[in-house]
Amino acid sequence: MVSSPASPTATGAMSAIHVNNNSSSSSSSSSSSSNSGGGPPPILKSSPPVRILPSQLARIYSFAHPAAVLLGFAVRFPQLVNDPVSEMLNALPFLAASQVVFAIICLPPAGGSLDNTPGSSSSGATPSGTSSSSSNIILRPGRPARRKGGSGGSGGAGAGVGGGVLGGLGGKVIPSLLALILTALLATPVLAILLVLFGAPFTTHHAQTALCAAHMALLTAVPLVYVHGVDGAVWREVWGAGRPADAVWGAALGTCVGAWLGAVPIPLDWDRPWQAFPITILAGAYLGFAAGTLLGRTKWVYGKRLRFAEEGELADKKRE
Amino acid sequence: MLSSTDAGSRRESHHTEIAATASTSSPGRASDRTDRKTTVPKVSNNNAQNFLNGLEGDFKLKHLGLLGVLVWFLFLHVVGIFFFTKGFLLTRMVLENKSSCDVLPLADTSVKKSDGCWHKKSFDKAVVLIIDALRYDFTVPFTSDVDAESDPLFYNNIPVLYETAVNTPENAFLLPFIADPPTTTLQRLKGLTTGTLPTFVDAGSNFAGTAIDEDNIVAQLRAAGKTLVQLGDDTWQSLFPDYFDANLTRPYDSFNVWDLHTVDNGVTEHLLPLLHPANATKWDVVFGHYLGVDHAGHRYGPNHPAMATKLQQMDKLIRDVMAKLDDKTLLVVMGDHGMDQKGDHGGESDDEVNAALWMYSKKGIFGRTSEENVKPPAQASNRFIPQVDLVPTLSLLLGIPIPFNNLGSPIEEAFAGPNGNNWKNLVTVNRLTSAQIKRYQQEYASVRGAEEGNSLQSIELWNAAENDWQNIPWVGKSNPSTLRPVYDSYRHYQRNTLQVCRSLWAKFDEWSMAQGIAILLAAIVLLVFYARGIRTGQTVLNNALLTSVGAGTGVGAISGALLVLIGVVASPLIEESVLFAATGGILSASWSLFSRPKQLTVPLPKTLWGWLAIVFTVAQSVGFASNSYTIWEDEILLFFLSTFGVLAGVSSMRQKLTADRVLGVYHSILFVILGRVASMSRLCREEQMPFCRSTYYSSATSSTSAPWQLIIPLILAFVLPTVVKSFYAGSKSYQGAAPLWIGSAFRLGLFLVAVFWVLEGADDGEWLPMSKETLKSSRVFLAQLVLALAFVAGTTAFIYTKPCISINVSQGNNDPEAKGKTPSFSSAGRTTVTILGFGNVYGTRYFLLVVNFCLGIILMQKPMGQGAMGLLLWQILSLLEILDTNGLVTSNSSIGPIILAVLGSFYYFKTGHQATLSSIQWESAFIPLSSVQYPWSPILVVLNTFGPQILTAVAVPLTVLWKRPLQLSEEATSTSKASNPAIRILSDAIQAASTYILYFATINVATTMWAGHLRRHLMLYRIFSPRFMMGAAVLSVVDIVLILFSVAGVRWSILSVGDIFGW
Repeated sequence: MVSSPASPTATGAMSAIHVNNNSSSSSSSSSSSSNSGGGPPPILKSSPPVRILPSQLARIYSFAHPAAVLLGFAVRFPQLVNDPVSEMLNALPFLAASQVVFAIICLPPAGGSLDNTPGSSSSGATPSGTSSSSSNIILRPGRPARRKGGSGGSGGAGAGVGGGVLGGLGGKVIPSLLALILTALLATPVLAILLVLFGAPFTTHHAQTALCAAHMALLTAVPLVYVHGVDGAVWREVWGAGRPADAVWGAALGTCVGAWLGAVPIPLDWDRPWQAFPITILAGAYLGFAAGTLLGRTKWVYGKRLRFAEEGELADKKRE
Repeated sequence: MLSSTDAGSRRESHHTEIAATASTSSPGRASDRTDRKTTVPKVSNNNAQNFLNGLEGDFKLKHLGLLGVLVWFLFLHVVGIFFFTKGFLLTRMVLENKSSCDVLPLADTSVKKSDGCWHKKSFDKAVVLIIDALRYDFTVPFTSDVDAESDPLFYNNIPVLYETAVNTPENAFLLPFIADPPTTTLQRLKGLTTGTLPTFVDAGSNFAGTAIDEDNIVAQLRAAGKTLVQLGDDTWQSLFPDYFDANLTRPYDSFNVWDLHTVDNGVTEHLLPLLHPANATKWDVVFGHYLGVDHAGHRYGPNHPAMATKLQQMDKLIRDVMAKLDDKTLLVVMGDHGMDQKGDHGGESDDEVNAALWMYSKKGIFGRTSEENVKPPAQASNRFIPQVDLVPTLSLLLGIPIPFNNLGSPIEEAFAGPNGNNWKNLVTVNRLTSAQIKRYQQEYASVRGAEEGNSLQSIELWNAAENDWQNIPWVGKSNPSTLRPVYDSYRHYQRNTLQVCRSLWAKFDEWSMAQGIAILLAAIVLLVFYARGIRTGQTVLNNALLTSVGAGTGVGAISGALLVLIGVVASPLIEESVLFAATGGILSASWSLFSRPKQLTVPLPKTLWGWLAIVFTVAQSVGFASNSYTIWEDEILLFFLSTFGVLAGVSSMRQKLTADRVLGVYHSILFVILGRVASMSRLCREEQMPFCRSTYYSSATSSTSAPWQLIIPLILAFVLPTVVKSFYAGSKSYQGAAPLWIGSAFRLGLFLVAVFWVLEGADDGEWLPMSKETLKSSRVFLAQLVLALAFVAGTTAFIYTKPCISINVSQGNNDPEAKGKTPSFSSAGRTTVTILGFGNVYGTRYFLLVVNFCLGIILMQKPMGQGAMGLLLWQILSLLEILDTNGLVTSNSSIGPIILAVLGSFYYFKTGHQATLSSIQWESAFIPLSSVQYPWSPILVVLNTFGPQILTAVAVPLTVLWKRPLQLSEEATSTSKASNPAIRILSDAIQAASTYILYFATINVATTMWAGHLRRHLMLYRIFSPRFMMGAAVLSVVDIVLILFSVAGVRWSILSVGDIFGW
C-alpha cells in the first residue's frame, strides 16, 4: 500500500565513495544528477510531427475546422450557460462527428499507409525550414513496418495500397473507430480523474465533470489516436509532453493548457452564470484547441519539442 | 508496479566495497579516509587530522555566518512589518470605566432617583427593533422619473416609517443613520451599544473573546435592574453573554444567509405576545434583531422580488407592533448598516453606511426645531446623524447613565419637545452628554499618555461651551434666543471630539506604511539575489556581506538615534534608530552585492521548473489583490499543487532510466492524490458560503470533532511510521537510530496522541465514568509527555545521534568492481566495508528532525487536522522522491522549496484555519496546559496555527539533502577550503532556505501592499487586513523556525556524517 518500492537486491556496487566533487564526470557516476530531468526526451524512435494531408480540401478544411468548432461553441454558448449538462450532452455527438470528419479529411490515419502517397512524402520531406524535424525524417523508412505491427494490422494494410480517396476511406474507418472507442473508454475517465484532482467537486457535479472530460477527450484524443494509433513510443512521448509540435499535438496541448487557464475566472465574485463549474474550463479548452491546432502548424513552432530545462544547463552548475 | 522498480536500488542501496589496507586501525573514519587516497602520496595521519579539523572548524564558522544573514533578513522583515502595521492597524484603548447612576459627570445637577438617573426619564420601557441592512432609501418614498416598470423593487415597500413621521411628527421621526465602517453586524452592534467608534483591534483585556467589556447600554440597563429580552440574531449572545432574561430570550443562528424567514418569523412569533398587556410586567426592554432583509440582500441583491416581499412583511410587522404599543413604551426601528448594489456590506461606501433610524411613541413628545425639519430628508446625505447618537439618546430617554465611552450626541428630535422649542431640555441633555464625553476624554488621555495630543484642542471648545452656559442670565434660562447658542456650542464640542477620535482611530498613517513597504520590498530584492542570483556560492560571499551589513546597520542605528536627540525628527528614539539601522543595512548590503557584478547572475530561471516556481508565487501574489482569490486561496493552492504533481509526472516520463521513470510517476500520482484527499478537510469561511461545506468539525456550527474522527489519530499511529519507514527502506536507510526513532518513539507518541484525543472526546461526550478532573489531568499529562518526547528528548537525540547507516566489515571479499578501482591493493589483505543506507545518508539523518516536529504539531491539531498533518508528512516524502528522480536535488532548483512553501500554505487551510481572526483555535493552548502560561501558551497556539508552515520549513533543507551523494574533499586538490563539499552543502541548504523565505516574503509584501492600497476597500476588514496579518505572522514564524531549527539542524546532520566519513 505505501512504500516507495524497496529494492530487492543490493546491486550496483557504488563506486562513488571515492568521489571527487567538482568534475562533471563525477556527476554522471554519482547517480542522481545524471538524469538531468531536462533535455529532450530520450526516446527517439518515434514518429515525426504530423503534416496535414496535401489535398486542397484538407488544407482548407484544416483551417476551417478549428474555426468551425469554435464558432459552434460560441453560438451555443448561451444554451451552455443556461443548462450546461444537457447542452454538453447534446453537443457531444456533433463534436465527435466533426472531429472524426476533420481527422478523415485532414490527417493521415494510423497505420502509416497514407503517409506514403507521393504527395505526402514529398511534403513530409519538405525543406521548409523545419530543421529540428529533419533528424526524425531519417527514421521514416523503418517506420511503416513497425506501424503495421502496431495497430493497423487488419484494415490499414488493405487501405494502404491505393492511397486514393476511395481506397483510403476503408483505412480511415478503423482508425476513426479506434479513436472514438479509446476516447470514450480511456481518455474521458483519465481526464475526468484529472479534473477532480485539480479540484473539481468530488461528491457532486458528476455529470458536469464527466461531460467536460468527454468534450476535452474528443478535442485531444481523437486526432491523436487517429494519427498514431496505439504506437507505444508515441504515447510515451505524449505522456512526457515531448511530442514535436504539429496540428494534432498542438490541439491536445492547447486544450489542456486552455482548460487549465479556464479555471482562473471561476472564483471571482462576479456572480455571472457562466462562472459555473465546467463552463469556463470548457471555453478555455475550446479556445486552446483552436489556438493549438493552428499554432502547432506554423513554421515557428512546427517540429519543436517542449523542454523542461535548457540543454546542458545542468552541466554548468553554478559554482565549483 | 512497485516491485518492478528494483533498478531503483541503483541509488538507494549502496553497498560499498572498499579495499582497505590492513594497517589502518579502525574500520570507521580513518580507514575510509586513507584508502580513498589511493592516488595521493601518503600523508601522515597527524596532518590529515589537522586538515580535517580545519575543515570542520571552517564549516562551523561558515554555518554561523549563514545564520547571521538569516537573522538580518528576519530583522528587516520585522522592521518592515512593524512600520507598516503602525500606520495601518489602528488601535484604540478600551477603558474599563463604567458610568454609574450615582456619579454624575457634572457636580451641579441632580435628578430625583425615581425619575431616572442622570436625566428625567421619558419612557419606562422600550422595544428596539433592528432590521439588519435597512438602508435609508428603502424607507423614503421614491418617485421615478420614467415609468414605474423600471423602478427598483426595493422602493416604496416599507412606507410606514415615513408616513408616521410626516403625519404625526410628535409621535415619530425618521432620520438617516450613518454607520461607521466596518459595516459588519458584529462591529455595528458594538458601536450601537457602546456609542464609540470601532477600530480593527480594540486593544482590551479580552482579545480572544468577543464579549464586549466596555461600558455599554445593555450593561447599564441591566445595572438599572431592567429585564432584558433578546430575540433574533445570536450575535447578541456572544457580545452580551448572560445579560438577557433566559426564559424569554430566543437567539437564532445568524449564519445561514440562504434562509430568509426562520429568524424573522421566530422574532415576530415571540415578540408580539410580549406586547400583550398581560405580559407587560415581564420585561422592560426588548431587542429584536431581524435578518431577513440582510439575507435577501446577500442572497438575491436588493433589486429582487424577495426583497420587496421582505420589506412589505417588515412594514406590516411595524404596524402590528405600533398597534399593540402602550404609552410608556418607546419603539425604535433601525438598520445597523445598509447594503451595496449587490446586497453585501462590510465596507464604507455610501450605500453601506446609510441606514435608517425611526423612533415612535404614543406619548407625542418628539419635536422639530424648525419647519423644514418636519419631513424626513429625501436623501441620506441631508440631516444625517451618526449611529453613536443612539446610545446617549436611548440612555437619557430611559433614564439611565450614559455609557462611559460614549461619543454620540442626543438626537435633537427626541428632546426638543412636541413644539420643538424646549431649548432648556436640549441644553440640559447636551451639557450632560458633553460632560460625560469630557470625562472620557480626560481618562483616555491619562491612560494613553500625551501621544494623542490632538484631543486637547477640543477641551477648549468644552471650556467655551461651559463658559457660555455659566454666562446665561438666570432669567434667560428659558429663552430660546439665549439658549440656542449654548446648545450649539455644546454640540460643536461633541461633534468636534467625535471628529478628533475618528481621525485618531480611523486615519491611516500613509508615511509609516510606505516606509514599511519600502523596507519589505528592498528585503525582497536582496533576498532574490541572495537566493537565486549568486554565482559564487553564498558561503563565499558571507563575510563581506555580513561585515558591510553590520557596519551599515550600526551607522544607521547611531545616526537615527542622533537625529532624534538633536531634534531633527520628532519620533521615538528606538523607532527612528531601528528605521535607520534597517536602511543602512540595506544600503550597505546592496553595495556589497552589486558593486561586484561578476559574482551575480540575473536571477531568472533557466528551466521550466524555475518558471513554474515563479508563476506559482507571483500569480498568487497578484491574486491577493482580489477578494475572491483571497477567499478561495485553499482551492487555488490545491490547483497549483496538482499542476506541479502532473508536471512532475510528465517530467518523470521523460527520464532515461526506467527506475527513475517508474518511481517518479508513482510518486507524482501519489503526490496529487494525497493533496486531493487532504483537500477534503475544510473549514469554510463565511464568504465561501454557500459553495463550501465544512468537514473539519462535526457540523458547521460546532467546534468539536465528530466521534468518528477520533479514529484518525489511531490510524495515524499505525500507518504513519510505516509510511516513513518505507521511504527509508527504499534506500536501505532504516538503520541505526531509525527503527527506534520512527518505529518505536514516533509510533508511541502518535499512540499517546490518539489516547489524548479519545480522553478529550470522552470528556465532551461523557462516555467514561470518570470525573472531569481526572480526565483533564491525565490528558494534560499525556500531552506534556508527547511534547517532551518530540521536542526535549527528540532534539537532544537529534544532536547526538549517528547517521542512519549500518557498516559491516568483512575480510577477503573479491568484488570485481572494487578490484577495478583499487588495483594497487588487490594483493594485500582485503577488507570489505559494506555500508547500508549510504545513498541517502544526509537526508535520512536530517529527516529525523522533521519526524520530531511532525509529532509535536500533530498533538496540537484536532483529529481532522492530524490526518491532514499525516498526509502532509507523506506528501513531503513523496515530493522529495520526485525531486530526486527528476534530478532536482543537486541542481538547486527553486521548485523544491517553493512547492514545500505551497504545501505549508495549503495545509494551513486543511488544519481548520482560514485567513480570518475567528479561525484561530485558541483552545489549543490548553492541550498540554491547564492554565495560561507565558510564553508557552502563545507558542502552543502558534504551533497549532502555523504547524504546517513550520513543518515544511523544517523540511526545507531536505530539498538539497535527500539522496544527495556523499562527497568528500580531497586533500591534494583542496588547498583552498572553499571546495570543501560540506561547505557546498551549506550553500545549497541556505539557498533552499532563502528560496523558501522568498515565497513567504513575496506573499507578505503582496498582501501588505494590497491591504495598504485597498485601505478604502469594502472588504478591508473582512478579507485584506486578516490576510495581511496572516502573511506577516507566517513570515516571521518561518524566519525564526528556519534560523533556530532548519539551518541549525543541517549543522548537526553534516557534523555527524562528517564524524563517520570524514570531511
